[in-house]
Amino acid sequence: MSSGEHIGELAELYAIGALGESERRDVERHVAGCTACGQRLGEAEDDVAAMEAARLQHDPPEQLQRRVRAMLHRPAGQWSRYAPAVAAALILGLLPSAFFWEQNRTMHAAMEADSAAIGRVASTPHRSVAFSQMSDGSAASVMYGPDGSWYVVLVRGASRALSVAWMHDGQRTMLGTATPHGDVAMLYLPKSHRMNQLALMDGDRVVAQAQLAY
Amino acid sequence: MIEPGGVDDPLADGFAAREPWAFEEAYRRFGPLLYSTAYNVLGNAEDAADCVHDALARVWRSSNAYTKARGAVRSFLTVCVRNEAISRTRSQARRTRLSERLAAEPQEYEELGAGDPIERDRLRAALSRLPPEQSEPLRLAYFQGKTHTEIAAELETPLGTIKSRIAQGLRKLGAALRDGEGPRRYE
Ligand SMILES: [Zn+2]
Repeated sequence: MSSGEHIGELAELYAIGALGESERRDVERHVAGCTACGQRLGEAEDDVAAMEAARLQHDPPEQLQRRVRAMLHRPAGQWSRYAPAVAAALILGLLPSAFFWEQNRTMHAAMEADSAAIGRVASTPHRSVAFSQMSDGSAASVMYGPDGSWYVVLVRGASRALSVAWMHDGQRTMLGTATPHGDVAMLYLPKSHRMNQLALMDGDRVVAQAQLAY
Repeated sequence: MIEPGGVDDPLADGFAAREPWAFEEAYRRFGPLLYSTAYNVLGNAEDAADCVHDALARVWRSSNAYTKARGAVRSFLTVCVRNEAISRTRSQARRTRLSERLAAEPQEYEELGAGDPIERDRLRAALSRLPPEQSEPLRLAYFQGKTHTEIAAELETPLGTIKSRIAQGLRKLGAALRDGEGPRRYE
C-alpha cells in the first residue's frame, strides 16, 4: 500500500489477521484519517466478529475485569517509578517473560500505561556490570543509573532465590531478594545513593560480587 | 433504530472519546467474546487474559485507534484482540503448536459440550458452502494465523489472487453467518 492509496482488500486481510505487523500499522494509520476505509474495515470486522461469535465461548476469569478497571483508572505518571527497571528489562530483551514473576506485575501494568514514555526511557543512559562467576553456572549482572538512582539486578539461569546485599564500610546491608521466575530472577532497587559494591547471597554465603563504577 | 454497540450507541461516542466508563462498559458487554477470541488463538487461560488486557490497554492509550466510521465497538475490539493474539503466537514462534492445535479444532467442537452447538455448526457449515478456492485461504488465515504472503506461497497462487479470494470469502462468510443470526446481538 503506497501513501495516498486507499486500503482496499487490506481491510479484510487486516480483520482476519492475515497482515504482518508493518502492513497492519499502515492500515491503522490510513483509517485514522479516512472515513471510507474506516467503514470498509468496520464491515470486515463485523464479519470476523460473527465468526468469533460462532465459535466456542469461554468465560473470562473474574480477576481480568479488575485488571482492566485498574488499568483504566491508573493515574498517569505512575509508570515513572518503575521506568528504569522496565527500560533495563527492555534493553536486555527480558520482556515480557520476566513480567510473569508476580513482583513485576505492577511494572508490567505501568509500562502498558505509556509505551511511548517507556520508549524514551529505554534510551536513558545506564551502566552495566557483571557479577563474578557463580559455581552453579548462572550469570548475574547489574544495570544501574549513572547517578545511582536505580539498580536492576538480573540473574540468568537462576535456580533459587538469591539475596542482594550492599557491601560498605565493612558492613552488609540487605536490599532484597531476587526470586527466579522461569530461569530469570530480577530485583529492582530504586535508591538515592551510589552503591560501589553489591553481593549476591545464598543464605549467609556470598556467591558473587560486583564492583560498580560511576 | 438504535443498535446496541453500533454507531448510534452512546457507547461508541464514549469509546471514541476514550472515556473510562465506555471502556468498562465495553468490557462488561463484550468481555466473554473478547476472552474467547483470545483463548481460541492462544489456547490457555493466562495468555488469553493477558492478551485481552494488553489489547484494551493498547486501544486505551492510543488517541485515534477507534473512530466512529469503524462502526460497532464490539467488532473493532474483537479484531484488536485477535490481532494481538496472533502477534503473540508469531513473536513467540509458536506457530507449529498453534497450527497443530487449531487443525484439531473441528474434533474439539464435537467433543466439547460447552457452547451452542448450532452456533458452532454454523461456522463450519458456512465455511463449507464457500467455493474451495475461497475457503482454503480463509481457513489458513483464520485457523492458522498465516499471513497473506505465506498463504500465497503455500497455495502457489499469485498474491493478488489470494488477497481477493480472502476478501470475497470473508464477506460471503460474514453475510451467511449474520443471515442466520436474526437481529444483531451486541450483548
Ligand atoms: Zn482510504
